[in-house]
Amino acid sequence: MSKKFTRRSLLRGTLGGTAVCMGLPLLDVFLNSNASAYASGARLPVRFGTYFWGLGLTDTPAGGTRWVPATTGPGYEITPELKAIAAVKDKVSVFSGFRAIPEGRANLVHWSGHASILSGVAPTASGSFDEASFDTRVADALGGATRFKSVDIDASMSRTPVSYSTRSGKTFASPEVNPLGLYTRLFGAGFQDPNSDNWQPDPSIMLRQSVLSAVKEQRQALMSTVGQADRIKLDQFFSSVRDMENQLAVQLERPEKREACNPPVEPGELPRGASVDVVNENTRLMARLLAMGMACDQTRAFNFVHTSGASETYMAGNSKIYHQITHDEPTDAKLGYQPETSRLAEQVMEGFGAFLEELDAVPEGDGTLLDNTLVMAFSDTGYAKIHSIDNIPMFLAGGAGGRHRAGQHIHQPGEPVTRVSLTAMQLVDTPVGEFGRGTMKTARPVSEVMA
Amino acid sequence: MQRKQAVLQGLLLAGLLLPALAHAGWTRSWVIEWNEPAMYYGADSGVIDPGSDCPAGTNPEIDWVEVLVRAGYSRAEAEWLRDPANPTRSPRNGQNQMAFRGEGRANVYTHPETYPDPGLTGVSGDIGEGFDLDGDPGNGFVSPEGERGIDNAFYRTLGCWKTYRGPHRLSGGALTFNDAMRNGGWTMVIVASGEGDDERNDDNVRVGIYLSEDKLVKGGNGEIVADYTFRIQPHQVFEGIFAARTEGGVIHSTEPSPRVVLRDPSFTRELELLQARLRLTMQADGSLQGLIGGYRPWMPVYQGWVDARGPVIESLTWVELPGVYYALQRGADYSPPGSDGERTHISYALRVDAVPAFVMEPDASREVAQVRSYRDVAEEDNYKAPFAGYVVNGIVPDRSGKYYAGPDAVILPPQSGE
Repeated sequence: MSKKFTRRSLLRGTLGGTAVCMGLPLLDVFLNSNASAYASGARLPVRFGTYFWGLGLTDTPAGGTRWVPATTGPGYEITPELKAIAAVKDKVSVFSGFRAIPEGRANLVHWSGHASILSGVAPTASGSFDEASFDTRVADALGGATRFKSVDIDASMSRTPVSYSTRSGKTFASPEVNPLGLYTRLFGAGFQDPNSDNWQPDPSIMLRQSVLSAVKEQRQALMSTVGQADRIKLDQFFSSVRDMENQLAVQLERPEKREACNPPVEPGELPRGASVDVVNENTRLMARLLAMGMACDQTRAFNFVHTSGASETYMAGNSKIYHQITHDEPTDAKLGYQPETSRLAEQVMEGFGAFLEELDAVPEGDGTLLDNTLVMAFSDTGYAKIHSIDNIPMFLAGGAGGRHRAGQHIHQPGEPVTRVSLTAMQLVDTPVGEFGRGTMKTARPVSEVMA
Repeated sequence: MQRKQAVLQGLLLAGLLLPALAHAGWTRSWVIEWNEPAMYYGADSGVIDPGSDCPAGTNPEIDWVEVLVRAGYSRAEAEWLRDPANPTRSPRNGQNQMAFRGEGRANVYTHPETYPDPGLTGVSGDIGEGFDLDGDPGNGFVSPEGERGIDNAFYRTLGCWKTYRGPHRLSGGALTFNDAMRNGGWTMVIVASGEGDDERNDDNVRVGIYLSEDKLVKGGNGEIVADYTFRIQPHQVFEGIFAARTEGGVIHSTEPSPRVVLRDPSFTRELELLQARLRLTMQADGSLQGLIGGYRPWMPVYQGWVDARGPVIESLTWVELPGVYYALQRGADYSPPGSDGERTHISYALRVDAVPAFVMEPDASREVAQVRSYRDVAEEDNYKAPFAGYVVNGIVPDRSGKYYAGPDAVILPPQSGE
């Protein structure tokens, strides 16, 4: 095979006597030298997702707190800023005292904390991670049998879409930012009701899959003719093609019936606005859609952003945003904490409470969807007033299909946040034995919460 | 890199040739784990409450709508500028249009003189920490220990600003900047060496304060761990050498150091001190606590706050930056010899808490045995300010061009149908 490929080349094959072709990404080789448990007996699937909110929870300089329970182990008490999770407290483990360790790198405000949790290493620059976010590993492990390997959602109503999920560390996922967009993705064109008695394979999907198969020979030929840089690009490209092939293959199989699947009606448009009441309402609606998307087995992995690191949210009618209040509000001498900040933190946590309630409202098997899900929730800071990355609030919620011994408070001051990340990965059977780099590298999950 | 290696080899050679000449009778070393401007707090509790220092408490929160109206904006414009739903108000960088409230809507951060002095209430109490820098006991504060003539005009000027006010280790500014330092932002070490037999009582002591590239190490309780090892980083800018003596474990400077530069726990970065003094107490647990003071140039203090994004600083810390400019100008109390007499400097003191540490020569060949200067072997300072190129004239211009701010900016959005 000595064919010369150019930037206009297409991978070609034949399908049923008809020529089919596929375009290619821009490769260096094209440039000049100057270029720069069901009825079938199958187990109920386990799902995993991250939930992020900005600006942490309220600590006090003197060491007090509005969120860390005084007792550890099972049966922790509900503190003021945990009120929103009281209804599902027995399904939520609270992790306090864990910290991000920058190891000589600057604390990049509103970035180093969650970058460390997700990538296992303090980042060198704001806006990028030094490693892929670990949710992608979990999605690879869990998401092969679903239509979407992972779904990214941003409920923050921010000016620009927010996602912290990345495979390269440089580019981040494009999230759905409103209920209608999420509905369209999960239940719009291409959705096949698993409970339908009239299921038929979609001819258009069959055609797309066949096109990919038809060009397979030329794909292999092209790989053998390019340099290393292009091979990396092509490998990434064809990896995404393979993902697409897998997704198409999934859609060509008759899906398992899903008792809990009850496709929702199309939602209306919500008013745009980042006030906390609007964001929480958006959170609840998108959580409801996501929950049903998982009940219908459209995806088993997700990343959900409630508010960004330097949160844009605010109390309706207040001229100050939450971010500003965390910094400028003095600690009340009598109360010992920032009262307005704490009030907003409570409201932000209502979003998390609503999120969990929606997952817990979907019956599945003997329990609920939440029982078969693990949600790792975390923020970017501990004491937001000073951008502290000590004592970052973290939670594991849901039963992970019986693996998570939930309802505990784990207090381990000074331990790296990566231990919680590793715990989450192992609870959903991701094949990983250690996580993180440098001081944050760990092979020690928090075994107390693992059944 | 080659130059650095050559320098280190030279230092090693010097170390091998000079041990007999350079050997001190004793050497002690520490790493700074906390530092903050010496702002005596006169209230019983909290951080903003009235006290003997600031009888009305900290300077109060500012009504920015009223500020903008006074500056010539209509009330509707002012309220829209402060509305969180206004897309021109960045949650991270603030409302850029806040800058343009000078005469003719000039930028008040770069041209504070175009804005009438809004005032900044200073300290009215009598007690202050620091040094008698001018030798006049009739001029200045009385120290908590009763020493008269304490010169700390920086405290008198800014001590009621919320950022600086609060009990030891609890003001908002101190917490913020020390957290950055303790997370690896920078490291400064202190070495004291003497020639006598008793380190607690020695008339001939030298103290060196140096930068180190080795980062502070936090323990599980969040505190800086003692007895870690730090290499001196020779630096063209950051270094302080003091002649001193010890008396009962207290290290006093014996004469002013003409010029030292420390790493400032603020956005200013450089804490240049003229006529610098120190008074540091060796504690029974091995730690070191005390003060370092002198006259610092006040304009970089103002510029540091401007460069940290004027609209953000003003909103978060409850000051109008032109008020800070005028207050520092009024409070300045020193003209360096040879200058034209303008008071360009202001008396200042820095509280320092340090824990024992091993301090090594730059090549890590051995512990530092005697205090000396390393400036002559330092590499060029290629420092780039954290907001350089990002902050322009005190604001972060919107790169998309959608949210223009300036003297001629249209403030109110077009009404529907227009």
